[in-house]
Amino acid sequence: MRTTPNKKELIIGLAMIGSSLAYLVMAYQLPGHGGVDAGTVPALLAGLLILLGAMQVLSAFAAKPVAVEAAAPSTGDLPEVPAETAAPDVIEPRTVILTLALILGYMALLGPVGFPIMTVVYLYLQFLVLTPVTQKAKHLSYLLISVISSAVIFLLFREAFDLMLPAGLLNNFI
Amino acid sequence: MLDLLQQGFGAVFSINILLLMAIGVAVGIVFGAVPGLSATMAVALCLPLTFTMGPQAGLSLLVALFIGATSGGLISAILLKIPGTPSSIATVFDGGPLMEQGHGAKALGIGIVFSFLGTLFSIAALMFIAPQLAKVALSFGPHEYFAIAIFSLTLIATLSAGSMVKGLFAGALGFAVSTVGIAPVEAIRRFTFGVSELNGGFSMLTVMIGMFAVAEIIKLAETGRHAVQGKAKSVSMKNIKGFGFSFKEFREQLPNAGRSGLIGLGIGILPGIGAGTSNLVAYIIAKKRAKDGHTYGKGNIGGVVASETANNAGIGGAMMPLMTLGIPGDTVTAIMLGGFLIHGIQPGPLLFISQGPLVYTIFAALIVATFMMLFMEFYGLRLFIKLLDVPKHILLPIILVLCVVGAFGLSSRLFDVWSILLFGVLGYGFVKAGMPAAPFIIGFILGPMAETNLRRGLMLSDGNFMDFFTNPISGSFLAIALVFILWQVYSAMRPKQSAINEILRS
Repeated sequence: MRTTPNKKELIIGLAMIGSSLAYLVMAYQLPGHGGVDAGTVPALLAGLLILLGAMQVLSAFAAKPVAVEAAAPSTGDLPEVPAETAAPDVIEPRTVILTLALILGYMALLGPVGFPIMTVVYLYLQFLVLTPVTQKAKHLSYLLISVISSAVIFLLFREAFDLMLPAGLLNNFI
Repeated sequence: MLDLLQQGFGAVFSINILLLMAIGVAVGIVFGAVPGLSATMAVALCLPLTFTMGPQAGLSLLVALFIGATSGGLISAILLKIPGTPSSIATVFDGGPLMEQGHGAKALGIGIVFSFLGTLFSIAALMFIAPQLAKVALSFGPHEYFAIAIFSLTLIATLSAGSMVKGLFAGALGFAVSTVGIAPVEAIRRFTFGVSELNGGFSMLTVMIGMFAVAEIIKLAETGRHAVQGKAKSVSMKNIKGFGFSFKEFREQLPNAGRSGLIGLGIGILPGIGAGTSNLVAYIIAKKRAKDGHTYGKGNIGGVVASETANNAGIGGAMMPLMTLGIPGDTVTAIMLGGFLIHGIQPGPLLFISQGPLVYTIFAALIVATFMMLFMEFYGLRLFIKLLDVPKHILLPIILVLCVVGAFGLSSRLFDVWSILLFGVLGYGFVKAGMPAAPFIIGFILGPMAETNLRRGLMLSDGNFMDFFTNPISGSFLAIALVFILWQVYSAMRPKQSAINEILRS
């Protein structure tokens, strides 16, 4: 992850242009292009987006890497604010991917398996994934918290707020 | 006006609503106090709860959450030296040192009392200015609304954190995402790819929950396993008279508070920038104007006063464009807009005519919630401190589950649940790219308003664009927007910057 700010800004700029182009192509496929119609605003927006993306790419070439590094405000008037993470940020792509996979699985199975079961499974696994490195996983309390939160949320919304969360497999029992 | 206000209080003073508001203020304070949770999240997550309530109860709850969360940030700012929300960054500067010198209770007392005064001041201003503003806004047509939408978008995009190009891009992208669904005027489908769920476009709430809550959880996954969670120190509340400070100290701070309140209100009214900016600006000005300016940052109560008065004075300011024009001033009021719409109420100048009693119920709810905040925050402090110790790896997954429930509750379909994941990933990408999320949200909300009014305006003037510039009000707003961009470009090119400029841009 040791990309220089300059290169990072360039990648951001390219991503901006890429998404703008995709939008432009879709905007041109809209029916009818006589005068001002439903396609006008999207086309104008696409043009603006591409322009801004191009400016970002240009600024990535122009900016010295140092200037971006110093962007954190170093105003003499203000004392330093300690950041929440005292240690230099350790970035873990693995945890991010695991978390995303868990959320994805949770949402995919929410319909067929149902909210009560999936919430217990998701919460338990997500607690495990996010447990800080300095702590041991407390399996029993994790499981208890998962079951209690799932039950409380499900019943609270069902009884008090008239929201029928999908019960899935438990449909016949509740 | 007085009898309407009386009616409003009458509506709020029912056991039901008072109880809801007490819960709202408490939950709001927790969301404000816990770093990583924000006022935006609190309102977004609780909005689905209001679906089954009447508009009076629902909006009172949202207002209570807003006030609690704006003020709650001071607890962690003083006790943990970590701002709970961006709006209490400047509170850390002097609140932290005061805590270390053993004056924690005094700092908290001052912070809470001046939060209270700032909020009350801004509500008073809202009550006197908003009806007048609404009268003026009644004569606005599509031309004016288009110009105001563009003006607001420009302001938020250029003033948000990060580079101006990224801010503008985020705003335009939000506008682009809002074009998904059935188009105004001709009602043809745009960008729906044959998916019938997309006909209505993405719901505003799923965008907000995704960008602010789901993205926050993904962000925690990145560094959370190695982060050191601050431990809140306890404050001895024994032998504390009143709110922990003397009347002399209170009187000395009044000029500072008045000035900071005005700064907070003024910055709060402007769309796009709010409490996150005003607390820093008020702090810097208070430091410059104070006789003992050199002690700021080392534990001067004036710093806490300036920051807390200013950030809370933004509440009334942010509500002003929302209630009179239907334009949200920041992300919290953007969700409030959603709250209004869900209850079938369209904020705007007509609100004051057609829904007079409801408007004053909201005013009354604001005032009652402010008093609740004052007492709950001070006397319930110990409880809130305990909640600061709840580990993040337990808290955030549960919040994700609540996000899913909230999204599903919108219209009982799993499509909305998938949308929050989509916008969560997008929000995480925004964080990684250093792109601000607020312009995206405001672009998403104001986009349809700008487009619809552009089309209507063109129809009214037979396709003539010039009417947007020759109309005095719309012309001036567009001109100010243009001048603003040019000024930003100019000041970005100048190497030397003043501190305030730095804050506005960084």
